[in-house]
Amino acid sequence: MKKEEFLVELEDVLQREEPCNETDILEEYDEWDSLSKMAIMAFYSKNFGINVTLNDLKELKTVEDLIKLAGDKIDA
Amino acid sequence: MPSFSREQVYIVTGASSGLGEATALMLNERGATVIAIARNEKRLLDVKSKCKNPENMHIEIKDLVEDIEGLPQYVKELKEKYGKFSGMAYCAGISNIIPLRALDFAQLENTHKINFYAPIMLTKGIVDKRNNIGQGTSIVAISSIASKCSDKGHVAYSGSKAALCASLKSISKEVIANGIRVNCVLPSNIKTPMTAIEEYEESQKNLYPLGFGEPNDVANMIVYLLSDKAKYISGQNYIIDSGGVL
Repeated sequence: MKKEEFLVELEDVLQREEPCNETDILEEYDEWDSLSKMAIMAFYSKNFGINVTLNDLKELKTVEDLIKLAGDKIDA
Repeated sequence: MPSFSREQVYIVTGASSGLGEATALMLNERGATVIAIARNEKRLLDVKSKCKNPENMHIEIKDLVEDIEGLPQYVKELKEKYGKFSGMAYCAGISNIIPLRALDFAQLENTHKINFYAPIMLTKGIVDKRNNIGQGTSIVAISSIASKCSDKGHVAYSGSKAALCASLKSISKEVIANGIRVNCVLPSNIKTPMTAIEEYEESQKNLYPLGFGEPNDVANMIVYLLSDKAKYISGQNYIIDSGGVL
């Protein structure tokens, strides 16, 4: 998946009215709650075959960190 | 009696007959804007011709099971056309009486498509905060008394309706933080085209002390649950059965 596509998908998963950017800080999103984290986990499992845990997500600061979590599944 | 403003926009599915028609007409009469969805254009136009405020009754021809995966996108497109939604009454459905020995997988699946999968995916679209008004949004789905006490031949039907109740309970917990309420109503036999099977009616009539209900008996509850009068109620299943079960 291309990075731009991922950012659009992320906007949808989080149900954000505003676009997502790499430098955005996750904790500053109103939408970054437990339900969204579960939705992210499901998204990574379905699209990348990666099992992400809540602990993994707790460590992340920015959208860029979220992209890095997918490794080579997201093209730069 | 609940009242609404024209800025309150509600989707009503199965709006061309029975409970959906009664709900669409009642919501419209009480001031809401209704997006009436069904497959049959002629019958939808008939409903529109009966409504009190035709300028606030919009019809949309749609077969909900044609592309269930695409229903959230469909809701988004409707939102772009009509504005953010105050809620939905999911009244589409089929009631088929097929004993297990005659039931095949296609019938089982088709029953679940319209009675369970479609309402869940439409609800997914409605509860997306980009598509609703937030606080005050209310979703009501028609389940059935068969979800609680099913009879012979209701293998597919009762399963689909029980699944709907259980899943909407889960959804109600997911969305309550956004001020969205989700409830089910569980009617027993109501006089609608869907239940008009003479032999079946005959076998059931002694079960209901107050007789078979009329569509408005259920629509009254749906409209109440959609309204702000029910602002403290979510995640519930309301049996409407003429006192036959309890």
